[in-house]
Amino acid sequence: MRWFALVILLMPAFAAADPGRLLDDHSFDTEPGGEFAGDLGIVAAKPTSLPVGLSTGIGAGLTRRCGCMFSYGARIAWSRVTEDSESWIVTQDDFRFRVTGAILHEAGRGAIALRLGAGPTIVHEVRDLQQGMRDPNSDTPQQQHALRAVPAGELELVVSLKIAGTWLVDASAGPTLAIDSGAHGGWITQMGVAWRP
Amino acid sequence: MAALRLLAIAGSGALAALVACDDLKNFGGPIPAYATVQLEVTGDPTLLPGDADLEVAMVWGGQWLVEALCILPPENMDATTLLAAGCRDPFGFVPARVDGNVAADVGVPTTLPLISLPSADLLIGDVTARIGYASLIVYDDRDHNGTLNLARPNRIPGNGMGMGSGSGNDPGTETRDVVYGASFVAMTQADQRVAYREGSFSPVAAFYPRAGCGEPPLGFSMLAAGGFTAQAAIDATIAGTLPKEDPASCAETALSATTIQVPLQMPSLESVKELGCTERTSDSSVRYLEPDPTEPTPDFTDRVTACVHLPSFGAPSDTVELVVSGRTEDKCVGISHYVLKGCRESADCGSPDWDHSTAPPDWWPCGP
Repeated sequence: MRWFALVILLMPAFAAADPGRLLDDHSFDTEPGGEFAGDLGIVAAKPTSLPVGLSTGIGAGLTRRCGCMFSYGARIAWSRVTEDSESWIVTQDDFRFRVTGAILHEAGRGAIALRLGAGPTIVHEVRDLQQGMRDPNSDTPQQQHALRAVPAGELELVVSLKIAGTWLVDASAGPTLAIDSGAHGGWITQMGVAWRP
Repeated sequence: MAALRLLAIAGSGALAALVACDDLKNFGGPIPAYATVQLEVTGDPTLLPGDADLEVAMVWGGQWLVEALCILPPENMDATTLLAAGCRDPFGFVPARVDGNVAADVGVPTTLPLISLPSADLLIGDVTARIGYASLIVYDDRDHNGTLNLARPNRIPGNGMGMGSGSGNDPGTETRDVVYGASFVAMTQADQRVAYREGSFSPVAAFYPRAGCGEPPLGFSMLAAGGFTAQAAIDATIAGTLPKEDPASCAETALSATTIQVPLQMPSLESVKELGCTERTSDSSVRYLEPDPTEPTPDFTDRVTACVHLPSFGAPSDTVELVVSGRTEDKCVGISHYVLKGCRESADCGSPDWDHSTAPPDWWPCGP
């Protein structure tokens, strides 16, 4: 008991705080950044061609600011969806190539923009015959491929927030339009990080 | 410089657009057939009504065992009459699921593309050796829905049970479609059947057996056999073997090499009518009904009844049951079972769900 009391009394003599601080007033300081910015994020969208399902993947973009209200750039995104029916398992990869232009407004650490993108979406379709591998005699092709490009575009609301230094988080969402034997409406969202050195 | 980059990207996209011009099919487009059945409806066209909407359905067969009461000797005259009215041919083809349908004319060859493989529940055996058999059934599509609608026996509903109207995948007790024949009616008749085999083949399997014939080829094929007699089946069963087919009547060929004959028959034949009837249980098990004294007297109008002992392959049972056939107007034959004491799944259960043996209902005709 005496030893225990001694340890308790001596403990404050050994205990001490770290001399530095992990977080201080400048940890989340931001920099104004240059005219170029890049971003990378995850994409979720309605498939360009398939009438059902959720197409998911990644997207990236480059943006250049001109003045304080306008920007333009280019984007690329890939997303995939797989759905099945009684006869087919259909996988479609959507490759979106876009030229974009945006008007934006900054407020403190945040910025909000309306971004219009246009360009081709290339859809790669793979159709597998359901259970086709079970038939040992069939000379039926078990898989079909197709590749098609369709003109498409989207109008997105983009929100970005400076986090620290030259890094930002951004999110965008909006309606899409693809022209392929008629107009096909849809939607797309992206969430990720951006870097503006 | 940046404008040049954007121009290059746009140019690449335009180039891709020019080379990527296939049609996307999504879930649409033609479905390639695994195989094609060639068939021809034969026989007397005067058997058909003038406005017949003749179709042929490929129907996969189910594994089914007749209940014991139907294969043991009847113990009295009432039972003889009831078994004739309520028992299905134990050697008959029992449909499990309709696969494809095609419009047909008598004497005109036609084709039925097979665009799907039979699912695992239609194949008998394990994944290393399994097989399914299908019969081509010709019918008058009276409801013009393009498919053969199967029915099931109209048994008397018990407490808390439905009236057998059918819902979802559960067929009702009535169907307007009228069957006129099939390529595979019963194992006791000559047949031509479509087979689908995966893996190896067990020659001792008793699923629509063809002992004495060659093994079915892998995948889809057409098989033929001459049939065996009921007595041959009984003798073989006692000997622990399968009844033999005449090898001269056997055939195993590719579907593309044969035209399967589907002969028209009288639709009033019991063996033909049963081709449109599926079964709810496949293991010969019986569901028992409770003769509840508090319930109204069951309506046995147009049904045959008999009092018999529980069927047994060993020592005779002391328990007497009331068995009731379906009605003469029913599409499918079947038997309902009442016991004074027992459970729904068994008349000999240890803890009976009901026991009216000391006070049977007034209408009970079989004694205590």
